[in-house]
Amino acid sequence: MAENINNLAMTTKTMDIKYGISATFSSAKDIFDAAGKIREEGYKKWECYTPIPVHGLDDQMGVGRSKVPCFTLLGGVTGFLTGMLLVWFMNAYDYPLIVGGKPYFSPIYPFPVFYELTILFAAFGTLFGMFFLNRLPQHNHAVFEHPNFGKTGDDKFMVVVEIEDPKFDDEDTPVFLKSLGGKSITTIKESIV
Amino acid sequence: MSTHTTDTTPQSFGISTKLLVGAILGIGGGLIGLATGFQTGDNAPFLGWLWGCSFWLSIAIGMLMLIMIFRIFNSKWSPVVRRQLEHGIAAFPWIGVCFIPLLLVVWFGGDNSGILWSWVNLDSPTMEANAIITVQDDVLHQKKAGYLNVYFFSIRLVCYFAVFCGLSYWLRKVSFAQDKDGNPNWTRLGSKISAAGIPAAALALTFGAFDLFMSLEYQWFSTMYGVWFFASGMRAALAVTIIACLYLKTKSGSGGLKGLYQQAHQYDLACLSLAFTVFWAYISFSQYFLIYSANIPEETFWYSIREINPNTGEISGWFWVSMGLIFGHFFFPFLYLLFYRNKIVGGKLLFIVLWILVFHALDLYWNIIPGREIVPGAFVGYEARGVWGLHLPWGLVTLFGVGCLSAWAVLKSFTSDVAEVIPVRDPRILESIHHHE
Repeated sequence: MAENINNLAMTTKTMDIKYGISATFSSAKDIFDAAGKIREEGYKKWECYTPIPVHGLDDQMGVGRSKVPCFTLLGGVTGFLTGMLLVWFMNAYDYPLIVGGKPYFSPIYPFPVFYELTILFAAFGTLFGMFFLNRLPQHNHAVFEHPNFGKTGDDKFMVVVEIEDPKFDDEDTPVFLKSLGGKSITTIKESIV
Repeated sequence: MSTHTTDTTPQSFGISTKLLVGAILGIGGGLIGLATGFQTGDNAPFLGWLWGCSFWLSIAIGMLMLIMIFRIFNSKWSPVVRRQLEHGIAAFPWIGVCFIPLLLVVWFGGDNSGILWSWVNLDSPTMEANAIITVQDDVLHQKKAGYLNVYFFSIRLVCYFAVFCGLSYWLRKVSFAQDKDGNPNWTRLGSKISAAGIPAAALALTFGAFDLFMSLEYQWFSTMYGVWFFASGMRAALAVTIIACLYLKTKSGSGGLKGLYQQAHQYDLACLSLAFTVFWAYISFSQYFLIYSANIPEETFWYSIREINPNTGEISGWFWVSMGLIFGHFFFPFLYLLFYRNKIVGGKLLFIVLWILVFHALDLYWNIIPGREIVPGAFVGYEARGVWGLHLPWGLVTLFGVGCLSAWAVLKSFTSDVAEVIPVRDPRILESIHHHE
């Protein structure tokens, strides 16, 4: 079985997987208007690549609020409870010890512990939640295969509609992007060696 | 904007008159309270007066600090909001005037001069361990007499208000002059004033909190106290600013902020509210935590009388106020303001800032009102003042009166043609108008 796959790889060398279709625009206004029309058309899985921040583009694309705060809250609550459990277990359950005349367990004297763990875990939640939602770490991305993707760091604005989009169509989508004023419609292919 | 004055004058003249009548009634009522309290030796009207004045003072101080912070950070989003604050600090001299009756009693009160601050009258009874002695025999006062004496106290009070009024006069002048000639050097001067003004105002508000509130129980001390007052003032000032901006946003055309006050401004102000909610809790808890951990009697009594009846050891009414502050002034606004929609939807934000203002008043009440009344027959030699008492109605009367006076002063500044509704020639004004998240 393994030999077969090796043979296949050797004979075909590369295999392309279609990722999506790109269209470039030459100004922030053009891509802003185009983004609104793409959203109205009902596309869901698509992305804009711009050399500068275009304010209001998120709303125009219909991108909602980030979900990262949920992970932050979850992390914070976990940290707070972990701190309480830690103090209760060590000071009131496993090895009860009177320190400075304070109770074995109370929400007051060990509050700095709860508080620090809340912050630490909330920060973890934020960082790893962001990684999770962005699917990071990711060593490569298909759009880098676009021959002129570097231009989006210079003077071009690019829209990429992914093949995963339920509305994606091999024939209609390029025509639609062209009708919005998109130039150099390109099919992005990710090659698998 | 040129029609600004003619448009709003007839209507605001009516409100202005009503506010002035309210101020006269409220302050007059409070003064009657002070007079009767002075006659009978009852300190309730004095505590109420201090509470009523301090509420508005804290808001004005918070606004002053906000302006200087905006200035020194040269923030691009703030000019639209800053102008409203500049009207707000017009109330300083009038609030200062309201503290004069207390100073008069300190100077000319005779046997009752120590009715509010017991250390003023050296013959006032006080506690040392379980014995009742006079203030002048109390070593805790003797060691502090270089600071806590009537002369230095009066000089300090005058200095605090000189700093507050001077800074507010100067910052207003700088900002309003720029409306006329558009010279960017006014902005530079404003930053310089703020650079010097922040430490000056910080010292004034810190020692002001020490003198006005902490010295009510002169044996007690907390180095956190000034920061607590700052944090409280910032929360209250942000709440009032948000209310004012929400109101002005509903008014289009002259004098209104419709189209100028963006969702992003509101979001940023609400984020600051959230930040200072956390900061207030951090400071208040730290103060409690350090005193709780150190467990020194001359510090712990201050918290004890806010929790239990010292003679019976039973939970007192103050316990519920304390719990109310923990949950109502911290946990609820904190959790509420975490949510994005609660910050950007006007009605939702209005609810929580009004809530914060009510609890800010309660926080000041909790700091000012509880105190030890020397009662010779009592088990510990004193009794703690209760939550309910004549200080509440007298305080509310003063709160109303000084509030009307402050609002009148602010409205006078707002409706005069001293300034445009926003700083139209501020170098940052375009960025502020187009501010977005």
